[in-house]
Amino acid sequence: MEEVKIQQNTPRKYMNPYLAGVLLGLVILFSFYLTREGLGASGAFKRGVAKVEQIIIPAHVNSEKSAFYHYVKNGEDPLKNRLVYMIIGVFIGGFLSGAINHRLKLKLEHSPKITSKTRAIAAVIGGAIFGIGSAFGRGCTSGAGLDGMAVLATSGFVVVGMIFGVGYLVAWFFRKLWI
Amino acid sequence: MGPLFNATDEWSFVIALVIGIAFGYLLESAGFSSSRKLAGVFYGYDFVVLQVFFTAAITAAIGLLFFEYFGWIDLSDIWVNRFYTGSAILGGALMGLGFVVGGFCPGTSACASAIGKIDAMLFLGGFIIGVVIFDAFYPLYAGFYKAGNQGPIKIYESLGMNREVFLLLFVIIAIASFVATGYIQQKISHKSKKY
Amino acid sequence: MSDTRIIKKRYIFMASVFIGLALLLVILPEKSTSKQLKPEQLLLQINDNNRYVSTDEDARKIIAGDNYMQLIDVRSPGEYVEFHLKGAINIPIDSIFNKDKNGDYVYEDILNQDVKINVFYSNGTVYANQVWILLKRLNYKNNYVMKGGLNRWIETVIRPPKPSVTATVNEVALYNFRKAASMYFGGGSVAVPAEDNAPAPIIKKKPKQEEEGGC
Repeated sequence: MEEVKIQQNTPRKYMNPYLAGVLLGLVILFSFYLTREGLGASGAFKRGVAKVEQIIIPAHVNSEKSAFYHYVKNGEDPLKNRLVYMIIGVFIGGFLSGAINHRLKLKLEHSPKITSKTRAIAAVIGGAIFGIGSAFGRGCTSGAGLDGMAVLATSGFVVVGMIFGVGYLVAWFFRKLWI
Repeated sequence: MGPLFNATDEWSFVIALVIGIAFGYLLESAGFSSSRKLAGVFYGYDFVVLQVFFTAAITAAIGLLFFEYFGWIDLSDIWVNRFYTGSAILGGALMGLGFVVGGFCPGTSACASAIGKIDAMLFLGGFIIGVVIFDAFYPLYAGFYKAGNQGPIKIYESLGMNREVFLLLFVIIAIASFVATGYIQQKISHKSKKY
Repeated sequence: MSDTRIIKKRYIFMASVFIGLALLLVILPEKSTSKQLKPEQLLLQINDNNRYVSTDEDARKIIAGDNYMQLIDVRSPGEYVEFHLKGAINIPIDSIFNKDKNGDYVYEDILNQDVKINVFYSNGTVYANQVWILLKRLNYKNNYVMKGGLNRWIETVIRPPKPSVTATVNEVALYNFRKAASMYFGGGSVAVPAEDNAPAPIIKKKPKQEEEGGC
């Protein structure tokens, strides 16, 4: 059976969530053990933005007016940071898993009740809101939430509590997008 | 004794790349590359986010305390995010809203983009727009952003609890939530099968 | 059906492992987590003369109003009241390990931080050195000893010896500086009660890690 499935290139089943969770927890643990910092995703994008700003509008980013001033202070290269390498790793790792499990496919996933266009607009708007939120929250679900909970930081628990709390509060209004 | 490398050490870039690969691989394998699966947590049909998330958190938290007990790591030396009360609450709220509308978070959208999900790429584009917006109007709320700094405070300190007792409670709550969500998920998917 | 039962059993097992481990952490006796220095390392550090700061350097910094240096007088309160250097605070050697009601060291915030450098002095160097070694053993950072202590201070800063006729330019410059410093610190008289008795600012916990979001 299994052999046939592979030949047909059907996507394989996802990993058991608890197994994935334990493995992910061990990755976080070793990240802290080796480099004193945990995981992170949004930091790399903020640094990318800072890099572009450094090139096209240096006057802005090199002043206190920019939120990313501390990335470029003393003429530092904002991309010379472990988080940038980590996000490259996330792309590679995601691609590897997709390739091994036959899930590589260009597609726009959406609920059958909405059009691709609606989904596309929602994705961009949601991304923008998330971007602003992760700037205020000093990290996203992984950097502020997951790492924060792993080291029992108050910030981590508050951020995760707010993400899920507000998520459930507003879920009803956006149900058409998903179910 | 750990941490073995400083975060600015060049070796840590290589390690970060390897850790990133493991991170991305696990996210994709657990199904975090599908926005409909991720959003399921808010509608009760798929709680994989919650399960992976809290399992990872308790595993790492227990591991860190054991590492400290064996003297392998100096917990006072690892990075702990600062807690800025107002900014953290607003940030978390916006992220919750963004999650429900967009269906991803930055890490998951990165690994979903890697396997060709167009909605994830659009989310990432939106995310970058959001970051640029935040930076463009930064002086307007710089005061708020920096207000209420409580430093790298820990949750058990905020609650005035013993660290280990808090962790035990956290583990019990996490497991209780797994049992509860498993039950809800079963009910809802049974219901949807009927239709 | 039996399949789901096996899976259920696995989950129960996993859940018990997690709760068991967390419970173990609660039960485990508290291990002294103090990061004490190993004797070998301590020996190396003791033999290293980097811990000394010269009296001239101190004088220069006091005059310049250097906020990054904290002088700490380790002599008895009596001696401190009689004479102490400008801006110095008094932490007598027998009270460095005083604890507050929570069992924390009272002076830890001052003695173990990254913001200022602490310079200990006593009359000679014996007591200042003792304090330094005790704190080094606790792996406290940023602590130094004033070379020669107050005795050397008086010899060099307050009553500097005149340079010989064959002195080099540098020696003359040093003498002139010492002369000026001597004036600043109240001339030849040592009995000057230092004017500021205001307690030095207490530095709050270390702003150790750099300001940078995790994620």
